[in-house]
Amino acid sequence: MAEEMAMVESGRARRKFVKTQGRKKSSKKGKVMPSPHGQKKVKIDKKMKKLFRKRAREYNSDDEEDEAIVTAASETRRLASVTNKNNEEDDMESGDNQSEDEGAAAPLKTSNKNATGTNDHSSDDEGDDGNEIQPGITKFTEGCRAFKMAFRNIMKKSVPDDMLGPILSAHKKLVIEKLGEEQAEHNMKGEAKKEKQMLAEKGHVKPAQYLDSHEKFLISVATKGVVKLFNAVNKAQTAQKGLNPSRNKDAKEIRKRAKQAFFSELGKPSLPSTGTSTKINEGTGKVEDQQPAWAPLRDNYMLTSSRLKDWDKMPDKNVSDDFGRTSENSSSDED
Amino acid sequence: MRKNKHGFRKPFVMKKFKQPEEQPTVDPITGKKIPKSFVFSRGKIPASLKQLQMDLRKLMLPYTALSLREKKRNNLRDFLNVAGPMGVTHFFILSKTASSPYLRVATTPQGPTLTFKIHEYSLAADIARSQLHPRCPKDLFKNSALIVLSGFVRGDLPLQLTTNMFQNIFPTIDVKTVKLSTCQRILLLNYNKDTKLIDFRHYSIRLQPVGVSRRLRKLVQTHQVPDLRNLQDVSDFVTKAGYGSESEADEEAATITLSSDLGRVNRASTKSAVKLQEVGPRMTLQLIKIEKGLCAGEVLFSEYGNTGGKEKSDEMEGEEDAEGQKEGEHAEDSEDEDEDEELD
Repeated sequence: MAEEMAMVESGRARRKFVKTQGRKKSSKKGKVMPSPHGQKKVKIDKKMKKLFRKRAREYNSDDEEDEAIVTAASETRRLASVTNKNNEEDDMESGDNQSEDEGAAAPLKTSNKNATGTNDHSSDDEGDDGNEIQPGITKFTEGCRAFKMAFRNIMKKSVPDDMLGPILSAHKKLVIEKLGEEQAEHNMKGEAKKEKQMLAEKGHVKPAQYLDSHEKFLISVATKGVVKLFNAVNKAQTAQKGLNPSRNKDAKEIRKRAKQAFFSELGKPSLPSTGTSTKINEGTGKVEDQQPAWAPLRDNYMLTSSRLKDWDKMPDKNVSDDFGRTSENSSSDED
Repeated sequence: MRKNKHGFRKPFVMKKFKQPEEQPTVDPITGKKIPKSFVFSRGKIPASLKQLQMDLRKLMLPYTALSLREKKRNNLRDFLNVAGPMGVTHFFILSKTASSPYLRVATTPQGPTLTFKIHEYSLAADIARSQLHPRCPKDLFKNSALIVLSGFVRGDLPLQLTTNMFQNIFPTIDVKTVKLSTCQRILLLNYNKDTKLIDFRHYSIRLQPVGVSRRLRKLVQTHQVPDLRNLQDVSDFVTKAGYGSESEADEEAATITLSSDLGRVNRASTKSAVKLQEVGPRMTLQLIKIEKGLCAGEVLFSEYGNTGGKEKSDEMEGEEDAEGQKEGEHAEDSEDEDEDEELD
């Protein structure tokens, strides 16, 4: 039992040992890698491998007649790997050289370095990648005649000048149908959009560049109104020119004048065709007869109810009079 | 080091937010209540109508909420709640159906409501585009517009109501105290008896001295050095008569004598011509309905026959129901929204 146990233990130990060995190896590799050149190399190497593998695969799928070339490819791969190793070594050396160069910069050593460069496939001088791929590619392209022929055939073909372009023949109708459908759908969408737009813009009219007769008429009506108002304002303000209504003395004077005007107006026979604005003036004048000019001093300050309160009752006389005039001469009413 | 850093740092200053000036609710001189308005829309409206809404707001300046934001869930009651404390007296409500856009003009809080069908409309931008020299002086929208109503027939109750309504959408002007320089634009409503359509136009007012050649006027107005290349003598600039415009004949009717100076060009006791140029939105309206309440209540007038008929009342009830439901849903939100709007 004890022996067995020992055996087991030893086995475990062995396993452990193996494992540790493996780990050690990996760790070693890791330790080796970290030099900057080495890392780069490894990366490129992987890429290379992928590339070559891909090429080989493609080649295999293309035609399986020439196996010799495949082997050749594999050989090249091996070769490439070998060269890579060499390169690594070279790089290490060159790195050393460079460091030395930096220190001394001796011409002898540089010549030495050049010599080593020429010795090793002259890969150091040009970029590493291009040089390494080169042999593989050349071989590959040389060997692939079928591809060349196929390409030439395709290029020779005269394509009919079709709107759809070259399509696999079986689906030609289907594609046409599909395109037609798409077009129809697009049209439908466009129409729907247009309709929506029309609905949204309903009533929206872009005015003409010129003034038509109707607009001119409207402008003349408005002008008449403005002129009437301005004239009334001038008439009222020339009378009280130089008087400040907020001053008590002037306010008295204004009131006096308004009274006079009011009584003189009473003496006259009623004229229905006086301006609307002047009429408003009279109305306010009446109020101002007994009360101070400044509004807050009046008794009914802020108590004046809006006219619209009893709008649906019988219209008062003032308003009806107003309308009589508006219908007559299309006058203005500024309120 | 640190001290240095701090030394170069820009001192932090609290930004003073300028409080918007409280607009008076009452005219300081005449003592009459100043009408204020909200212009908003109900339902989804297309971009051009949104623009029209903006134009209408500009037209109603300065006593309107220019940047009033409405949300989808705002109902009429929300606006009404805000309108009370802010002293808003009129609502302009734009809406759109499949057939045409509509404009409702209502007084708050009780109504009445006038519903207009907008047959045609042009935006301010369209009109500016159609003009050779669109005019927009800086202070055009600083004062409220004048209003001219013309062609409204006496005796027709709905029309009378319309005139009453529109007379009261702008502040009253006192003829004795008003400054003519504040009268910059005018709103014209012209009723056409035959077609029953109302033309809604918005013009800017410009005064020009009469009897002065165009060149001199321009020289005084713009203060720019005139082009004298083609003239033999400087005196030619003054004496040479420019070509008269076609509207010269009409001008005589449109001249006024000013009592006080108005700007640099228009002097007191000289004759000035009144020139109008269209700005702002242009609309052709048709009065189709009058309701007693605010977008609700008894139908007093309907363009399509049956006044206060069965169909209409049914419709109204339906609308009210819908409104009521909305209120129920958003009863909690409404207060918050009110605050939002006030902040805006």
